[in-house]
Amino acid sequence: MTKEIGINQLKRRDFLKAGLVFGAGAAGLAAGYAAVPDAFARAVYAAKQNGMANDNVLVMIQLAGGNDGLRTLVPLTDPTLHDLRPKLAGPMVSQALPLTTDFGLNHNLGGIKGLWDKGKVAIVQGVGYPNPTFSHFESIRIWETGDPSRRQVDGWLGRTLAKAYDSNGHPLSGCACGTTDVPGALRDLQATMTVIQNQKTFGFTGGSEVEAAVGALYKGTPGIYGALFDTAIATANDTIATLRTSTASYQPMADYTDKVKLVYSSKNQLAAALQLAAELIVTGTGVKLLHVTLGGFDTHYTELNRHDDLMGYLDSAVSAFYQDLSAHGMADKVLIATWSEFGRRPKENASGGTDHGAAAPLLLIGDPVKSGLYGAEPSLTTLDATGNLKFAVDFRSVYQEILGGHLGADSNEILGGTFDRVPFLKAPVAAL
Amino acid sequence: MALAQVPEPTTETPPPARKGITRRQALAAAVATGVGVGAVRLLGGTIQNIKRSSAATGTDWVSPLGRESAQVMQLLRRTTLGYTAAQLDVALADGYSKTVDRLLETPPQEPPALAASSTPGGRFAVPQLQQWWVDHMLTTSTPFAERMTLFWHGHFTSDYRKTGDNTFMYWQNLTWRRMALTNLRPMLMQVTTDPAMLRYLDLATSTGQNPNENYSRELMELFTMGAGNYSEQDVRESAKALAGWQQPPPDSIATVTVDKVKMVTQKLPVFTNQRPGVFNQRRAYKGSVTFLGQTGPLDTQGVIDRILAQPATATFIASKVAEHFVTYQPSASYVARLADSFRRSKYDVKTLMRAVFTSPEFAAGSSYRTLLKSPTEFMVHGARALGATSAGAGKLIAAAGSGMGQSLFDPPDVSGWPNNAAWISSNTVVERVNFATLALAQVKGSVPSATDVARTHLDGVLSPQTTNLLNQAPDDRTRWFITLASPEFQLK
Repeated sequence: MTKEIGINQLKRRDFLKAGLVFGAGAAGLAAGYAAVPDAFARAVYAAKQNGMANDNVLVMIQLAGGNDGLRTLVPLTDPTLHDLRPKLAGPMVSQALPLTTDFGLNHNLGGIKGLWDKGKVAIVQGVGYPNPTFSHFESIRIWETGDPSRRQVDGWLGRTLAKAYDSNGHPLSGCACGTTDVPGALRDLQATMTVIQNQKTFGFTGGSEVEAAVGALYKGTPGIYGALFDTAIATANDTIATLRTSTASYQPMADYTDKVKLVYSSKNQLAAALQLAAELIVTGTGVKLLHVTLGGFDTHYTELNRHDDLMGYLDSAVSAFYQDLSAHGMADKVLIATWSEFGRRPKENASGGTDHGAAAPLLLIGDPVKSGLYGAEPSLTTLDATGNLKFAVDFRSVYQEILGGHLGADSNEILGGTFDRVPFLKAPVAAL
Repeated sequence: MALAQVPEPTTETPPPARKGITRRQALAAAVATGVGVGAVRLLGGTIQNIKRSSAATGTDWVSPLGRESAQVMQLLRRTTLGYTAAQLDVALADGYSKTVDRLLETPPQEPPALAASSTPGGRFAVPQLQQWWVDHMLTTSTPFAERMTLFWHGHFTSDYRKTGDNTFMYWQNLTWRRMALTNLRPMLMQVTTDPAMLRYLDLATSTGQNPNENYSRELMELFTMGAGNYSEQDVRESAKALAGWQQPPPDSIATVTVDKVKMVTQKLPVFTNQRPGVFNQRRAYKGSVTFLGQTGPLDTQGVIDRILAQPATATFIASKVAEHFVTYQPSASYVARLADSFRRSKYDVKTLMRAVFTSPEFAAGSSYRTLLKSPTEFMVHGARALGATSAGAGKLIAAAGSGMGQSLFDPPDVSGWPNNAAWISSNTVVERVNFATLALAQVKGSVPSATDVARTHLDGVLSPQTTNLLNQAPDDRTRWFITLASPEFQLK
């Protein structure tokens, strides 16, 4: 088909300078987060034409709701755990898959344990930030923006794209898979990120005729949402064109079917989202930063079965993803990292669950990692004033290592500072 | 459907973005220098060919809100879930003020009872529940009640997944319709003891001895005051004070065969009469708590009344209402005025909504097209405009929302749905366009006349692109497609 001239060839960012608004919502307003910068007043986006330092790829997996770190990387020998969690501790300790004398993985993380045995898993313990908030939404924003002072509105990955990559003509540089909206981590107020809920249905009903009509309809749209609309359509059209090619040449080399039935059915089909991520990676679409989400981790109630099932669901999806990448010879390029807004309270509640907590471990998976436990084991006996685990590693230390060491981006510029190093990469690409 | 051949784009590349000036200054400059604007106001409902803009980007819609008819249409767009040509005529004949009265004073039409709601364990399919609501949205004579029910569904939200009993979800929907324009004080008591909410935020399993903080926190953070207006200690203390509520007992127990092959049966509760949770004194906290600055024994009503005594509560609710009904970024002074009126009325929601609809800000040119229709609003508006109110349309709408980010009874999280700009992504715009195609396919035979659609549904304020495509459309079906898929129709 003939490519539309006009918006498709204009820089998406140019459009967005015309005024993109982001509604932070009432909760955001109350939290002092609602700043909507005047797009014109912002510094001009510094596009680096050939800014891609390497062809490494990052896949962030959000465990939304606050993942229980103590049930993910289980302390095996600390008797205090049984005092704090009389209902929850027993089976989780006895069934854990030992990594060291003192720590083991949740028993449903067998696939990830297998990757650990092959030297593909690094775990950073005690990750958090000072003066933690126990609000999901505030803490999610802090992790997404990489800014505990809550001034920043763009996401840390959105800023990475803006500063390090030229996404014009590369709609898939940053992509959220398996969702309908742009995750905060990828948010860049001056750019439209690609979002694909399901590649099988992504496209215009009615085909290229509709595609062309809509391309003509959404051009120079006036008003505060005009640029956002136009770039969303242009991005969709670019993405459809790219996917048309990639779908034809991708054959999954792993079984992505869900092997675990969750207690509460999932809104996010994690395995399907990771399969789409794999497709984008192995077919050379130029994808750099991918984001997927698995919800359901807010286990205030009957945590025992729910969390174990979530671990199994995560494990089967990540295992298939790694196997697929590996079979396609791409495993050495891809770093998989989990994140969650907080861990959970060490002491369990009356509902057989745990309330919002603070520090927790993060998993880093893939060929680029140097296997091992990093950070510091949080103490179960010296909790903070709210009864929560004290953090040992600032989450931005992990971001810094990913940005500089894996993506070759300027982490100081993106994060606005330098942090203690956590050397979980085998061969960092840039001196940190 | 035959689409007009798409013309070669004649729009020139926009000039380099102006730096250091605001969008509105750029627009004013463009107008002053006669460069032209990207939106035109078409009078008399006829579509005219207009000169293409050479600097469309950065221009704004020209507000028609100086005319009362445009104010009426905006009111309907923002408060109802769409209208037919006949319904619009009634509102235009009544005028703005009378239409506001009618919206606020007409008691909500109850939806037909959902027979499946007495299914043991509430185990009927969620699409059945979704379609039951959508069907009512499509046919109700009081669509404002549905708009408000949707607002409260996103505010005092629960999802069917965790609630795990669709009868309770159904009840919650009935509750917000009945209470939509009542008073925040009884609404807060109702949401606290609502059976779906008792499960969704775990209050039903909390005890005074070992409280679960989930409901306590979200009651303050998301339902009333907003983050930053209470302490972590307040969360813990009110969790104690609120503990003791449990699910209501069922009307009966049914023995249900859950596995016909292995002949496995299960005893499931059957609920036929809607009622709130019950308080179990034995699970309650015995003693005094220190909550929001006061110490002493405290029950659930006491927690609610202390929250209502905080100035932050009215501000938080007023701010959210303004974002959903008036403008994406309401000014602090406007929110303060609305909050003040809400507080003085002792939290009467109807008073708040009347204050919103009669405020100068509501009809101000600066608020014109600053709100985005949620997926449900967009789809129901479209279907009502097309007269597509059959069961097929209801089924389509109930299913199509998820790709646009809104699946009823299944909010993304406890903060409900986001609004405005958050509705736009490369995935959701495609799904919105696809809905236009599929909704038209629901209309067998001829579609309603689209001759006047630019006036009746787009205020006659169209971008040059929309104008062009409508002008070139060969038939009414194509005109409806362009209209429903247009950026103008996504806005309200």
